[in-house]
Amino acid sequence: MSAIQLSSPSASRVIPFLLDLARDPIVWLIALIFVVGAMTSQYYLTTLNLENLMRNVAVIGLLSLGMTVVLLTGRIDLSVAALMIFSIVVGVVVMTEIAPLIGSRWLVRGNTYAGPIVPVILIALTTGAAIGAINGIGVAYFKVASFIMTLVSLTALRGFNYVLTDGHPYYLKAPLYQWIGDSKFAGIPVSFLLFLLVLLVLIGFVNGTVRGGRFYAIGGNEKAALYAGINTRRYVVLAYVISGLCAAIAGIVFTARLKSVDAPLAAGYELTAIAIAVIGGTALSGGIGSPWRTLLGSVAFAAGLNLLAIWGVGTWYQNLAIGIVLIASVGLSKMSRKKSKS
Amino acid sequence: MLKLSRRHLLKTAAALSVLAASPLTIVPAFAEDSVHAVLNGLIKKYSDEAKTGMSNGDVSALFERDGFRDYLDVYPVGDLAGGFVWKPGMGASFVGPYSKLQIKAPFTDYLPLPEGPVLDASKKYRIGLVFHGFNHPWLISLADTAAWEAKRHPNIELEVIDAEFDDNKMGQVIDTWIAKQYDGIVLWPNREAPMGPPVDRAVAAGIPVVSLDRRTSSEQISSEVLGNFYANGLQQGLYLKHAAPEGNIIFNRKDLGSTADSIRTGAFLEAIGNTPGYKVLANYHTNSQRTQAFKSTADALQAFKDISVSFNTGGEEAMGALDAIREANRLNSAPGGKKIMILANDDAREVLKEIKAGNIEMVSPYTPLIGDIGIRAVVMHIGAKAGLNEAPPKLIMTPNLPMITKEKMNIEGIETLTPDEWPYAYGPEVSG
Repeated sequence: MSAIQLSSPSASRVIPFLLDLARDPIVWLIALIFVVGAMTSQYYLTTLNLENLMRNVAVIGLLSLGMTVVLLTGRIDLSVAALMIFSIVVGVVVMTEIAPLIGSRWLVRGNTYAGPIVPVILIALTTGAAIGAINGIGVAYFKVASFIMTLVSLTALRGFNYVLTDGHPYYLKAPLYQWIGDSKFAGIPVSFLLFLLVLLVLIGFVNGTVRGGRFYAIGGNEKAALYAGINTRRYVVLAYVISGLCAAIAGIVFTARLKSVDAPLAAGYELTAIAIAVIGGTALSGGIGSPWRTLLGSVAFAAGLNLLAIWGVGTWYQNLAIGIVLIASVGLSKMSRKKSKS
Repeated sequence: MLKLSRRHLLKTAAALSVLAASPLTIVPAFAEDSVHAVLNGLIKKYSDEAKTGMSNGDVSALFERDGFRDYLDVYPVGDLAGGFVWKPGMGASFVGPYSKLQIKAPFTDYLPLPEGPVLDASKKYRIGLVFHGFNHPWLISLADTAAWEAKRHPNIELEVIDAEFDDNKMGQVIDTWIAKQYDGIVLWPNREAPMGPPVDRAVAAGIPVVSLDRRTSSEQISSEVLGNFYANGLQQGLYLKHAAPEGNIIFNRKDLGSTADSIRTGAFLEAIGNTPGYKVLANYHTNSQRTQAFKSTADALQAFKDISVSFNTGGEEAMGALDAIREANRLNSAPGGKKIMILANDDAREVLKEIKAGNIEMVSPYTPLIGDIGIRAVVMHIGAKAGLNEAPPKLIMTPNLPMITKEKMNIEGIETLTPDEWPYAYGPEVSG
């Protein structure tokens, strides 16, 4: 009976997966962080701190998931952090422009947005996807180097953020927004649940479908993928659309926590997203990595920073630690790749 | 019984020490003639005039476009806590724990706490100070004064974190301190909007929070130690009106939406708004960065041949503007061969040196040496929570300070001070 169970398809997948997991250095790193955290601080494993940790994972994790998909194709997306703010700004600005047309006023004194929030969210998601598509078309069809294309987008979007807001913040205090930013469901922050939902969808698509597998094919050997009949340009555009959507969702989660959106926010977060994807084992050259491992990267990154913060370590040393972990992860992943090849 | 009498003793001692040390109920008779009161009177006068309208179209357009009225109307202007009267010469001297520079902090007698253990001497009080910019001379000095005050009290443990101008990171730091159940939090927020929610969360968790200098969007915050932004911008305007009834102005401003920009620039525009001779040539946001102010001023010098005034919301901006004007060899290129007038804020030592040399016309002092007030205020809140003393006021105004000019002047009742009369300058010593 047990032999039959063991040989069933689910068991045959689960056991190697667990064995792989047990051999994975990043899993050991996460375990180490939690053990050290629990041993050195009475506050590390408190409910409140774990909630903080999950909320931090949600924002950087969402950005990194989109980045992972783009990196899988052998490209990069430097515009994600600027886009996460831009998409929300566009949502608010479009709605406040619409309001007078229907005889309403949704921007009240103190720049508080008092209109419906669902359309803002929908416009933000559409904006994220649209900017992602523009990036993708530039890279895939006009052959602009992805670094240049998305660097230009980053600069332009940062500029647009100031132009559209006139440099003033918009306050977002709608109950639904507060729910996304502050509430919990079954003890887990809603923002983290949103991240898990996006993660599951991406794992299902990237690792569970033939179409998703084409990102790996393009990143591994683009010419071979092209000769195999894959419309590589279309998939590159799709990767950027996914990245743009993830950035917009990250923007929703991020601004829901701050209950406001402000042009200069999240500067430099694109580098954090790249760092997390790399810590999770995604190769900058493309073809290697997975959303699942990006989750591990996000947790390792956020848990490590959280531990340093709990210890009261200054941010300069935290940055230094990020650099060391990044170098170590790249080194370890190269070593393990060499090992598996041999 | 023993517990009750000890608590009672502590309460009485704390109340007596606060009463003895702080002039909370004693209002000196000469408070109305102080610089603080004179400047508050001028703020009211020019604000009321501006509210009835501005005859200068250029100034009025900029004022309306950037929505200064919204910010100015809610920025508190009022009396000092306990009728405190500040006079030049007051304060304490020490070496800054972070900058290692000699400092004279002006307001150490404001809401004072005697040296030694605070509140319950048997208890350790953990206080967090989060700010941005260990790489900025103004901000290091702010942290210096906070750390100095904390060190005077052996049962205060101060953790200082630099959030590196990332508002989200500052929020995360505060969330971590909530999880660590800190006794009090002091912060220097860069922008108002994003810092409200983390402050609200801390206050909801029972942790007193005090902001320094700039404001947050929180209405629950325990106390705000407010700077004298209004007096800063107003004095820049008053000096300009006194020195030249007309002129073409370029602006180097801080981040739009920051309290420093909204109030200083707004107050400057209020002061000159009813003088028709001024023209706004260019308006830049150089975000407290000297290099950006240098670049924008260099660009403006290329674009305009008739610049007569450089308005700067900060000292770093003023130094950047001066460097650009010098490099372009345009110091005396204002119409009529006159010198381009440079108006500054922030009393950095290098700015005072340039005033002495006649390169910068005036500076409105905006001292970063107020971190000590924040620590004292948060300690008082912690004490108030434990029933040991009265809580300090929600709005803690810092004294308005008179402008500094090369020669002594009297401008609308304000006696200016010379650089030699100002021992409170911050930042590195400059040669010459």
